[in-house]
Formats: sequence, structure tokens, C-alpha cells
Amino acid sequence: MNGSKHDRAGGRTEAVTVRFAFTPAAAYVRAARLVAADVAAHAGVATGLLDEVRQAVGEACTRAVLRHRDRGLEDLVRVEFSIGDRFIAKITDNAQDLRARSSGRIGAGVGGGDARANDHDAIEEDTLSEEITLIVLGGLVEDLVVTGPDGNGGTTVSMSWPLPGSGSATDH
Amino acid sequence: MRGTSGDGAAEPELGLSLSEVGEYAVISVSGEIDMYTAPQLREAVRQLSSEGRMRVAIDLTPTEFCDSTGLGVLIGARRRLSDSGGSLLVVCANPRIRKLLDLTGLDKVLDVREAVPSE
Repeated sequence: MNGSKHDRAGGRTEAVTVRFAFTPAAAYVRAARLVAADVAAHAGVATGLLDEVRQAVGEACTRAVLRHRDRGLEDLVRVEFSIGDRFIAKITDNAQDLRARSSGRIGAGVGGGDARANDHDAIEEDTLSEEITLIVLGGLVEDLVVTGPDGNGGTTVSMSWPLPGSGSATDH
Repeated sequence: MRGTSGDGAAEPELGLSLSEVGEYAVISVSGEIDMYTAPQLREAVRQLSSEGRMRVAIDLTPTEFCDSTGLGVLIGARRRLSDSGGSLLVVCANPRIRKLLDLTGLDKVLDVREAVPSE
């Protein structure tokens, strides 16, 4: 995991990336959102926006975990933060089809041996939750782009927030 | 309500405390509601309804964090209680979570109050 390279005296010297991946399990979403808030704070994202970063990255990771769980995918969820002119967060899953198109939910969890597949209420709330994640993200994040799925991979949620001085990067 | 998972790691804390105010069974939620902890809240509501407590209030005022999974639990709880002739009240004087309810439009779907009515 890289640290931030932020030359406080003369603006940013180079773009920096923090990248990690995690097993698509609910237990690790909290870790991802806490890392997001910490990296964003370190990058200089305004304090008043840190809750938003934490919530948004948590929502995007939740969505990715739900999409993997829905398909019985054990591939890692990938998270990347870039610090340049803006703080950019990208969360990528490997689920190729949109969850909403998966009407055959009775078969969900095949291969994963997931007992939750029999828990109708939990599944229904999960379905609901994935839809709500996008609603929350849309309402929360000004710069939000969701791409995919494409032939080779799943979807990517890209979000960015301003960094102080990004408009004055040429102040020398 | 803190424990350890199978691999010995500490589980994130979700505090659920039960009380009664007027005709409502109140679940006060502290800590973080996310996809890992939300099942505990879902189960608490289910437990109350299985005991015949159909008027339930979930108090999110002390909640530190709530994500869409938590919102899903609220919607599911409302539906289940309504189907059984009961009702769900969401109590929230917490601006961060109120914002979440507002931007999803759930403030119009759920019965959201600042406090539990005592009568």
C-alpha cells in the first residue's frame, strides 16, 4: 500500500495510488470504508467531506460484495484510490451481468453453499440494498460514474472529490 | 453485543437495547449498521414480532453509521410488521442518518419521527 506523496510546500509532485482487494465478505466492507476515509483525510480531502467518502466507498463495496455473492463469485473486490488533482475512488467487481437482470434468484448462491439463499427476507433485503446503494451514491456523490459490465469483467464505480489546491496546482 | 467470529477477529460492535415507550417496543441502535451487522437488527425485529410485539420503533438517533443495508432492513421490517397488522416507527434525530433517509426518499415511505410518541 503506497502512501500519499503530497508536497505541501509546492503542490502535488506526482499522482499516488493506494490499491487493495478483499474477499467479497461483509466483514471487510467496514475495513474498506475506514481505509477510504483515512486515505482521503491524508490526501487532504476537506473534513466535511470525509463522511461522504466513507459512506460512498462503503456503499460501492457493499454493492460489489452483493453482486459477487449473488453469483457465487469468490473473486476479490478491487479498490483503488488515486490522489492527484482530485481524490478518486474506484471500486470494481467481477460480476458480469447486472444483478437486476438476475431473475433466477432461487438459484443464487449455487457453488457458494450459502445458507442465506434460503433466507427469503435476507435475499429480498439484499436485492433492495443493491438498488439503494445506487440511489445513495447518486444522491451523495456529485462526480459518479458506473461503467460495465463488459465482456471481460464486472462493473466499476468511479467517484471523485476535490482536493484543496487542485485549482491552484499551477500556483508557482 | 460484541463477540468474535470464527477466525477469532473482533466483530464490529452493534449495540441493540430494548425498552418500551407507550405502546411501542423500542430498539435503540448504537454503533454501525452495515451489511455485516444488519442481520442482528433484522433478527431483533423478527424476535419481537415472534413474541407478538407488532408495534416496533427503531431508534437510530444513537447510531454512528448506517448504510443501504440498514435501510433495507428498515424497509423489510416495515413490510413484515405491516403485513401482520403492526407498524414500524423509525426514530431519528441524527442529522447524518436523516440525510440518508431524505436522499433516498425513505423519509416519505417510512414513518420517521424525532421521538417515540409516549401515548
